[in-house]
Amino acid sequence: MKKYLILFLALAMFFSFTALISASEEGKLLIWADENRIKVLNTVKDQFEAEYGISIEIQEKAFGDIRDNMAVGGASGEGPDIIVGAHDWLGALVSNGLISPIELGDKKDDFYPVALEAFSWGEDIYALPYAIESVGLIYNKNIIPDPPKNFTTFETIVKNVTDKKKEMYGFIMPQPDPYHTFPFMSATGGYVFGLQEGVLNPLDIGLNNDGATLGLQKLDKLYEDGYIPFVDYQTMTSLFTNGQVGMMLTGPWALPALAEAGIDYGFTQLPHIEGQPPKPFVGVQGFMISAFSKNKILAQAFLNEFIANKETMMALYEEGSRPPVYIPAAEEVADNPDMAGVLESAADGIPMPSIPEMASVWEAWSDALELVLTQKQDVKPALDNAVAQIEKAIKSSQ
Amino acid sequence: MRLWKDNMFHLAKIIILSILDALAVWSATILFTEHKFIFLIILIFITIIINYIYLSKKAYPLRYILPGTFFMILLVVYPIIYTVYVSFTNYGTGNILTKDQVIEQLENKYYLPENTQDFSFNAYKIPDQNKYAVLLDKDDNGYLLGIDQQIEEITDNDPRLTDKNNDGTFDQINDYQILSRANLIKSLSQLQNIEYQYKDNILKMKSISLFSLYRQQYKYISAEDKIHDIKNDIFYTPADGSFASPSGEKLLPGYRSFLGWKNYIKLFTDDRVSTPFLRVFIWTFEWAIISVLSTFALGLFMAILLNDNELRFRKFYRIILILPYALPAFISVLIWRGLLNTEVGVVNQILQTLSIDKIPWLQSVFWSRFALIIINLWLGFPYMMLISLGALQSISGDLYEAAAIDGATPFQRFRYITLPLILVSLGPLLISSFAFNFNNFNVIYLFNEGGPPIVGAQTPAGGTDILISYTYRLSFESGRGSDFGLASAVSILIFMITAVITWFNFKYTGALEEVKENV
Repeated sequence: MKKYLILFLALAMFFSFTALISASEEGKLLIWADENRIKVLNTVKDQFEAEYGISIEIQEKAFGDIRDNMAVGGASGEGPDIIVGAHDWLGALVSNGLISPIELGDKKDDFYPVALEAFSWGEDIYALPYAIESVGLIYNKNIIPDPPKNFTTFETIVKNVTDKKKEMYGFIMPQPDPYHTFPFMSATGGYVFGLQEGVLNPLDIGLNNDGATLGLQKLDKLYEDGYIPFVDYQTMTSLFTNGQVGMMLTGPWALPALAEAGIDYGFTQLPHIEGQPPKPFVGVQGFMISAFSKNKILAQAFLNEFIANKETMMALYEEGSRPPVYIPAAEEVADNPDMAGVLESAADGIPMPSIPEMASVWEAWSDALELVLTQKQDVKPALDNAVAQIEKAIKSSQ
Repeated sequence: MRLWKDNMFHLAKIIILSILDALAVWSATILFTEHKFIFLIILIFITIIINYIYLSKKAYPLRYILPGTFFMILLVVYPIIYTVYVSFTNYGTGNILTKDQVIEQLENKYYLPENTQDFSFNAYKIPDQNKYAVLLDKDDNGYLLGIDQQIEEITDNDPRLTDKNNDGTFDQINDYQILSRANLIKSLSQLQNIEYQYKDNILKMKSISLFSLYRQQYKYISAEDKIHDIKNDIFYTPADGSFASPSGEKLLPGYRSFLGWKNYIKLFTDDRVSTPFLRVFIWTFEWAIISVLSTFALGLFMAILLNDNELRFRKFYRIILILPYALPAFISVLIWRGLLNTEVGVVNQILQTLSIDKIPWLQSVFWSRFALIIINLWLGFPYMMLISLGALQSISGDLYEAAAIDGATPFQRFRYITLPLILVSLGPLLISSFAFNFNNFNVIYLFNEGGPPIVGAQTPAGGTDILISYTYRLSFESGRGSDFGLASAVSILIFMITAVITWFNFKYTGALEEVKENV
């Protein structure tokens, strides 16, 4: 009897498997969001359900899993109606045919144009953006009262503060990390993909041009002379929270932990190099609508009416500690010095390339940084080699 | 009594089978409506087989192997077949959807013509029927009435319109009643699919409060298997998984298509694979061999010590020694990574107090390989110790007694009695351990992601990359992101390499079994 029962349960599970997975259904909204967004969405959900009488289901997923699961679940019709995501997923999601354009209507003017631009592909906008981020200089006010504005002062401060015997460091950034290193390479003219008629050209790579080389050489000099330790992100933040670091390079996501640790910090733009502002990668987060949603108009109404308002945007800002791109909310936080710093950094930045070819770039670039900054290879040959690797990888996929 | 019990069983069987069949019918309707015909056929086939086997007396013996066979097919055979299938396709970033899905998406793309116009609207519905009408406001120019799939221009004097309370809003059109906002929202999933042909354009819902004029951009011509871009008058023909224009411009999204041997040919001709292949392959081999031998040597040594009855606190030692095995490797490898951090790691700090220079554990090829082998030794020896302990118990004490009488030294006893006997029972396990380490992605990737990079390398293959981690780089961290087709081709290739090695190994241990007969 028991044997039959087990068999029965197993088969029942198998047969009903396809039916049990939550998927976009007519007349009900399914949202995939990450842990930081869940709380806010749950409040909005209650308002929406009360007003519209339509239920919303919110499923929590790790941020990166949302994109990966879309490729599997979305395509087989088992995906959600709305996802929370970042603009650099756009290339992969659009070329996979997994998201559909969104109609923002009059609300369009309420957003910073740069945020909408980041989510544009061709003539269409693919998300309702809510936050912007970029890296900048985070400094410990007790060690560095006056953050450097240009690279020469920056060098002097780094050299003065660093004392390896006392384990004190003037400046630390995570390595090998292309994302964090890019501002040093872009200030003097380095870029990842060149623009051709408004579209990124994956065959024009500017990571080994004179500007990129010069910027990295300047940074490398400080590594070579032993002023900056070659450490990863975790080590950097733990040294900083211990008060052993004057300045570090990272984004607003590191700030809540610093406030908790009681560090008196500031967030400002990175020092200019040769008079040029550093151009960090700008990332924008937003809400996108699945191409397989059966409730596109409803999803659009939900986003336009319940997310694109000051209250929700402020709540999202408080949970995510990144400046809002919804202008009424952004004005509200303008007097917060941290957010002003992030916005100032982002203002000079460039949107992180969102074309899928970006996948070929990270690995080779990261390898070059490691070889250069651990003094195994000079800047120019390392970058040349990285670009050759990237070109090869991109060509082999075309 | 006996008969009654049999009948009860029979009844239970019938009930369970009928529930199962009911479930199958229910699943079948779902599969049918979703046009998943292959799965539908498989479902019907399986259901018939299950019914036959459990109802027919002839098929009685099959009842016992059916569940096992079923799960073997589901969990082992099906994934293998699927991997082989994927390796012949271009499944990956940009080619996720099926061709039908892509055509459907393209045909549903609309653009706003230059003379586009927005209309506010009210929606109407016949109560209890799934019939809708919409009344679009032309801003003092009368109305557009969409009813019965037709759109017509009307004035506000139209006899079909009724305004019961004279508030300027028509509450009723024929039998259609106006939808309140709440009801409009409940009907959105139907309303959003309504389209009216209006002059050259299509009228359809733009947002919850507006209808707009659109035009269809793409039309699929199935006879010629072409996509017509109506807006720009360009024809796109299928080419390698997407529709491409004569000038080579590709329409997004692309679709999954059959590539034949292309992924395999790529593996053998692409110098991104062939250049580092030998280096990576040799290190993979070294890594697997050294891992097995070192963990086995240490594990066996510990087992022999622990097997000594005169040792005190045996249980305590055993628990301590098994700990590395009990901890999840995901955590312990990351802890090792922290310990071996060149700048701030504990290991280097201890070395510094002993006046030894910092060792670049993660930055030098030699040292990171060395570190990996130590870490894997730490992770792996408890398993070897456990299986060796078991095997040692099974060796008869008489043999050692006889050897002692013959005057054999402890080493001789180990060399001629313990080792051969233990290898007989552990041989197959060592081989599987070899195959496991050959594909031990976790340790390699978590420790250093296959790094450090190699100066002047043509591809990002790092100093500690083994075949499987290099495959991961090739298929998921280059090109356009994920390339499941290529990844499947490589995993089949790796499977073949491992299979050949394992086959040789089994031949070798097959020879060992004769030792057993001789003893």
